Amino acid sequence: MQKALHYRNLLPSSAGGSAIPPPGDNQSGSVNLRKLVADNAVVVFARKGCCMCHVVKLLLNGHGVNPTVVDVDDHNEGDVTDQLSRIVGAAPQFPAVFVGGELFGGLEQVMGAHISGELVPRLREARALWL
Amino acid sequence: MMNSTSTHFVPSRRMGIYEPIHQMGMWVDFKGNDCLDASPPMILEVDPKLDNQSEDTSHGTVGPSHKYDQEASKPPKVLRRLAQNREAARKSRLRKKAYVQQLESSKLRLIQLEQELGRARQQGLYAGSALDASPLDYAGCTNPGIATFELEYGQWVEEQDRDLSDLRDALHSSETRDSELQKFVDDGLRHYFELFRMKAIAAKTDVFYLMSGMWKTSAERFFFWIGGFRPSELLKVLLPHLEPLSEQQCLDLGNLAQSCQQAEDALSQGMEQLHLIVGEAVAKQLGEGNYLPMVGAAIEKLDDLVRFVGQADHLRQEILQHILRILTTRQAARGLLALGEYFQRLRALSLLWSSRPRESS
Repeated sequence: MQKALHYRNLLPSSAGGSAIPPPGDNQSGSVNLRKLVADNAVVVFARKGCCMCHVVKLLLNGHGVNPTVVDVDDHNEGDVTDQLSRIVGAAPQFPAVFVGGELFGGLEQVMGAHISGELVPRLREARALWL
Repeated sequence: MMNSTSTHFVPSRRMGIYEPIHQMGMWVDFKGNDCLDASPPMILEVDPKLDNQSEDTSHGTVGPSHKYDQEASKPPKVLRRLAQNREAARKSRLRKKAYVQQLESSKLRLIQLEQELGRARQQGLYAGSALDASPLDYAGCTNPGIATFELEYGQWVEEQDRDLSDLRDALHSSETRDSELQKFVDDGLRHYFELFRMKAIAAKTDVFYLMSGMWKTSAERFFFWIGGFRPSELLKVLLPHLEPLSEQQCLDLGNLAQSCQQAEDALSQGMEQLHLIVGEAVAKQLGEGNYLPMVGAAIEKLDDLVRFVGQADHLRQEILQHILRILTTRQAARGLLALGEYFQRLRALSLLWSSRPRESS
């Protein structure tokens, strides 16, 4: 298994982090996803252990990006889907990748952008990369 | 009252994993063997004595079981006869059940053989002869979606061969204009996309079948990667035939090759992850006999496999498109011809291999 690149960023919240607990688990209520995607350059919503999410993460890691991953499970799926639907206007399919606060797409879109060379500029725009 | 003999009881550890305890007796065949141990490849062995004995009173030395206590008021001779009748009837039911079991496994084996036969025929068809598919090809395949796919794929290959021949002629003719060649390139690309479309439908029908590569020839299977050819292989095959390339083209192709390898590696690792997940789901809580919830959970994970194969095909499609975009029209035409011939050679290799003379033993 490839080791994920962990870029310990010095900026407070922009260039990625690690997996956060699924929304709905903390006592103050569900996590505000709108704020989450706005505050983090790259956010991936996926079911735990989803192999397609794994591929997305590998592709992003290859560019030096350590995305914020939100684990979707049976408990929070309803809430996550609701919130994301309100943000993007339709129920997203998982894995769902947000770059720079906007829905980028799923594995297909990420891979397509990776091949076409569009991924890096987008990541740079969202300040997920510093190079 | 006499206690029942051991033939009435089937020890729980021999219990089949599919039946609840109280139905256990039904799974013992007329030889007294556990039906579930019978190996599927064995074709039916018919027992001529089956089901002919209903009221055979000479059977067994058993006494009545405690269920029939209300008959205790009748004379002992009658009781004994009734008990013997019950026992005979029970044994008869057991034998019948065993017979049906073996019929079903034989049926499965027959279907399997028919499928293999159909496939072997199909392989012969790819040599270029007319499509004179026998009814067995369709009837043998239990999955009509797959039968359709195999048929359509055979037609796809034939069309591919014809198109390549036309393309070769066009490239070798000095009169062919670039616009004509561009049409060949566009059509060629569209033809590959048609195959990806067909595969997507087949994947939903039976993703394992698609992944097995049984629909392709043996040499193609040797190079198989997630349901098709390796995209990086594509680049390696084409590159030598595209010379001369401009500096910009070299740069672009180099970048494409690198991105392709990264995407391929990521997908391969994702595949390993899927293996792990499905394997774990199947292997959960072994030894307890109850398999349905675990297998059911594993089946849910297989939806991911269908999407995975789709992603691999998507990568193939993207690589193909991008290569052709980087190249000039004439280069793209040469590239498509080279690619098509490469697969033709693999098919020819498979055919030669399978028809090579074998030493007689």
